[in-house]
Amino acid sequence: MIGTSNDWLSVAAAGAAQVYEECTIKPLFIKGPSLGVRLLALTVLSVALMVTDARLNVLQPVRAQLGMILMPIYYVAELPVRAWENVHTQLTSRADLIAENQRLRAESLLTQRKLQKLAALTEQNVRLRELLNSSSLVDERVLVAELVGVDPNPFTQRIMIDKGDRDGVFLGQPVLDATGLMGQVVEVMPFNSRVLLLTDVSHSLPVQVNRNGLRAMATGTGNNDWLELRHVSDTADIRIGDIMVSSGLGQRFPAGYPVGRVISVEQDPAEPFSIVKVAPTAQLNRSRYLLLVFSPESAYGDVFPVLSLEPEASPDQAVAAPEQPEQPEQPDIPGESSESSEAGEEGSNDAP
Amino acid sequence: MRHSLVVGFTVLLALLLSVMPMPEPFGFGRPMWLAMTVAFWVMVLPHRIGLVMAWFAGLASDVLYGELFGQHALVMTLVATMVLLLYQRIRRFPLWQQSLVMLPVFGVAQLLLLWLNSLAGSRPPILLLLLPALVSALLWPWACAFLDIFRRRFHVV
Repeated sequence: MIGTSNDWLSVAAAGAAQVYEECTIKPLFIKGPSLGVRLLALTVLSVALMVTDARLNVLQPVRAQLGMILMPIYYVAELPVRAWENVHTQLTSRADLIAENQRLRAESLLTQRKLQKLAALTEQNVRLRELLNSSSLVDERVLVAELVGVDPNPFTQRIMIDKGDRDGVFLGQPVLDATGLMGQVVEVMPFNSRVLLLTDVSHSLPVQVNRNGLRAMATGTGNNDWLELRHVSDTADIRIGDIMVSSGLGQRFPAGYPVGRVISVEQDPAEPFSIVKVAPTAQLNRSRYLLLVFSPESAYGDVFPVLSLEPEASPDQAVAAPEQPEQPEQPDIPGESSESSEAGEEGSNDAP
Repeated sequence: MRHSLVVGFTVLLALLLSVMPMPEPFGFGRPMWLAMTVAFWVMVLPHRIGLVMAWFAGLASDVLYGELFGQHALVMTLVATMVLLLYQRIRRFPLWQQSLVMLPVFGVAQLLLLWLNSLAGSRPPILLLLLPALVSALLWPWACAFLDIFRRRFHVV
């Protein structure tokens, strides 16, 4: 059997005899600067690095470069999952595929119908806002990213995605999935970035109740299943089933994206505030494809020239909303497009 | 030269294992693969593998975990220091006794990590954080046996 320590002595002796001719004898005691001195030096170095990293942004480029070298480890770690998915796709039966195709067609039909209505509603909204002289509604651009890995630390809620600096991702960028808000970018590397999820303990975002516009702060709990609303008074009009949407007040997340649904409201007389739990609508631990949002609130990423770069840099990268900001409706909706774009121009002429 | 290649490969393997996706309840008991690898190599080759190598391995895991630079580096340096203080004794121990000694070593490392984490702002529940130390100590004989295969196959002395 290998590795019983009793034979290490003999192995070491044999090894020493083997290499005796070519190199020096293995020293019995370690020389050089003493252990205490080396430990002290490295501790001071580590503490200095930690303080610099926490307080200044000097180390950010170093971290990004090192991250680029080490990130393939995440890809390799995810390989079994990917292989399993591949095998699953290969082996899915034809009947399953047909069924899925039918379901997706039906879903697409329903979505298209909603979208038609949405065009009319958006246009109406733009007109009403112009009547009120308030700022116009502007569409966001999105970029599709894929999940690469999940943070191994079970006490944080972070994920890695496969888009980075080179794709125009910027610090603090909002991230969505198909059903709701997921989180924000907290670290950008050249080809990857790290996303902090809504449910992380250190994350909060301003939200409002969709039904009546009541504002609140939704704070992560470290648990995947719910967020908590902070400082909600006992008399606040929040009911179970209310949909919370992002209010856009923090200047980070665009307004109006669904965040969660209220699942419980506890009013304990002993507590100063009521305890409201909100289940996130985004599938935080299941979504594989995410959407990175470039919104006017985030200045379309003023750090990096996203708007000018995106069309030629990544024409096939599924930039899902390529239309001009002045025309909030999709141009490819049959019948609706000409009319609504006319309306849009008309509206913009009226505005000044 | 050969020894640094072998050690580098096992460290890379440990980093890979430490970001491997794990099912939800087992995530709390993820073994400290990097600390085990560093401890093994320092114990077996104390004249070649020292604090600086441990420090760099820790730095790599800091980058990988997205934590403050130097956090894991400091922890790995501490592990290497403790093993360097103990290696002349624990090399002679049978494996089960070794893992008994490694338990406090890994425990102290986890506690330092907890302390640094709470300085950096996130404070995890305390007792659950010691679970990886226990799991690592239990896995120590097998990790030792596995790494020893490498050591013998490539004649690293």
